[in-house]
Amino acid sequence: MSAKDTFIKPLVSENPVTLHVLGICSALAITNSLTSSLIMSVSLTSVLVITNIAISLIRKHLPSSVRLIVQITIIASAVAVIDQVLTAYLPDAAKTLSVYVALIVTNCIVLGRAEACAMKCGVGTSILDALGNGLGYSIILIVVSVIRELFGNGSLMGYKILELVQDGGLYQPNAMLMLPPSAFFIIGFLVWVIRSWKPEQNENADFKPTPLPDREKR
Amino acid sequence: MTNDSPVKAFLVVLLTAVICSSLVSAAVVILRPIQLNNQMLDRSRNIIKLTGLVEKGVTPSDEEMLELYRGMDVKVVDIDRAAFTDELDPLSFDQRRAVNNAELGIAIPSDLDAASLGRRSRFATVYMVLEDGELDRLILPVRGTGMWSMMYGYVALESDLNTIAAATFYEQNETPGLGDQIMRPDWQAQWKGRRVYDEAGDFRFAVNHGKVEPGSSTWLYEVDALTGATVTADAVTAMMQYWFGPHGYRYFLEELRDQNGRVN
Amino acid sequence: MGAFFDVFFRAVFLENLALAYFLGMCTFLAVSKQVKTTVGLGVAVIVVETISVPLNNLIYNFVLREGALAWANLGHMDFSFLGLLSQIAVIAAMIQILEMVLNRFFPALYNTLGIFLPLLTVNCAILGASLFMVQRDLAFIESVAFGFGAGVGWALAIVMLAGLREKMKYSDVPAGLEGLGITFITTGLISLAFMGIAGLSF
Repeated sequence: MSAKDTFIKPLVSENPVTLHVLGICSALAITNSLTSSLIMSVSLTSVLVITNIAISLIRKHLPSSVRLIVQITIIASAVAVIDQVLTAYLPDAAKTLSVYVALIVTNCIVLGRAEACAMKCGVGTSILDALGNGLGYSIILIVVSVIRELFGNGSLMGYKILELVQDGGLYQPNAMLMLPPSAFFIIGFLVWVIRSWKPEQNENADFKPTPLPDREKR
Repeated sequence: MTNDSPVKAFLVVLLTAVICSSLVSAAVVILRPIQLNNQMLDRSRNIIKLTGLVEKGVTPSDEEMLELYRGMDVKVVDIDRAAFTDELDPLSFDQRRAVNNAELGIAIPSDLDAASLGRRSRFATVYMVLEDGELDRLILPVRGTGMWSMMYGYVALESDLNTIAAATFYEQNETPGLGDQIMRPDWQAQWKGRRVYDEAGDFRFAVNHGKVEPGSSTWLYEVDALTGATVTADAVTAMMQYWFGPHGYRYFLEELRDQNGRVN
Repeated sequence: MGAFFDVFFRAVFLENLALAYFLGMCTFLAVSKQVKTTVGLGVAVIVVETISVPLNNLIYNFVLREGALAWANLGHMDFSFLGLLSQIAVIAAMIQILEMVLNRFFPALYNTLGIFLPLLTVNCAILGASLFMVQRDLAFIESVAFGFGAGVGWALAIVMLAGLREKMKYSDVPAGLEGLGITFITTGLISLAFMGIAGLSF
């Protein structure tokens, strides 16, 4: 795979969220505001890059018996450091994200990329792969949160875009979009859109209805 | 050494553990002062709004805010003994942590537990604005169980220790669009001038189930309903009932009133 | 005992890890095609949660938290920032040991649960429960209730989803929405229904 492909593919056609179903938890939980989504995206991408570099560097010296535990330790440390940086410089965001920053540890994208790419390729490719996947995750988060915050609260990143009825404007916000389940619906529809555009992502159906027999025979 | 030898596996794990934990510890040591400063700023931001020291619509800079915050009289109250205490340092005492602490917290008897809290801290950090040595405002921390979450807020009382000067909620996770209206500044602004106790000294404050007509008999004691959020609104009433009731600050406030607001 | 059941029921219904906090979603969506498989997975989650949350509670309260090391004359030390590292390590180690023990002494059980155990190391529902335990400052007995409840709630949710998906195989879903897409939307509806439980007090 060329360097360009390594970076471009995870954006849509091999998107970690909508195709591989990885890293969904945070994609759902924190997308009610664009600000939290952006911070989450940046945090996850940094963790991905850091761990991919570290693991790629030591990949030749990793005994397979302790491979997983070493990878998880590295990921957890990267996350702990990012968590500390967030509480120091963006305390409000850190509060809203609460445990979801720490949960990057178990975000399957990170471990998945460590296993699938960093264990096999050199540092350069690993960085590109990390950036690509980080960005693919970010795209989904940003799309979902723009829909949720704009129509659910009339604002983007806290700035008023649509004047709400309660403040004398014309827009009656759809409060359901601020509730967590709405994220499921939006991602569900996103998957639908992407798969209509790229039908090769469709799963094989478990069950194909047999064509109905002719009416007379029934 | 081959990758499969147990010695190497052990060494690799040990090395990773040492390097990783020292990196994390280093980050913590470097960032701790900034984090502590943030905590203080965060706390002061909520308090300063209630002091009346800052004009409406003016957002003070971080330095100004810390200056104001440091200028306030902060004390710890022993709720059950209805008096100030010097046992605890008000700057380091963490009321939220104290709740589940065996020594610092107590269980609330279920017949008194209007706000479904279960436990509370025996102590509370209160903030006082003094004017020429006389108490001008007293800011009390309150919390109550809402529909989904714990709602945290502060209530500021005028020097008569009955009239509400201001109130704010700063942390909640109520239903978006309905219960989370408790965060709306225009709703919070309505609290100003309402009274907690009636003339006989009984608790009267409530969140109305409709709109409160100015001049009506309830006008002195009630604020407007939150549209569509009856559970949260009732929870706010219950919260006030508990904290200004006999197991809350009631006796402390009476005690303080007897001393004519002389704090020291 | 009241507090025990309160924490338990809250964890199962109100604060359901899967439907209210969206934890463990990757496994939740990927392994929910058959009721039979999800029952095995659900039991594995209950077992792991019930052991790991109280275990992490003990470690946090007696080693990591501020003042916890007073018995070793280290009362001023606060190691809570190492919480995340220690929790994930405890979970990973515990799952490995559990796997070995099951394999050695209960081979039959190992055959049904064993395949799911490695999967659970990186399941955020497991780590999430421990993180919530620290955040909410639960006492030991509450942490047992919370761990058990969190596991039961998660298991209940995934079995429910699998039941729906088994039936849904026969429905005519628009192309492109089949599989993952419709699963998301179904989960959204279940989650919405669960929100109706809020405001009830146990």
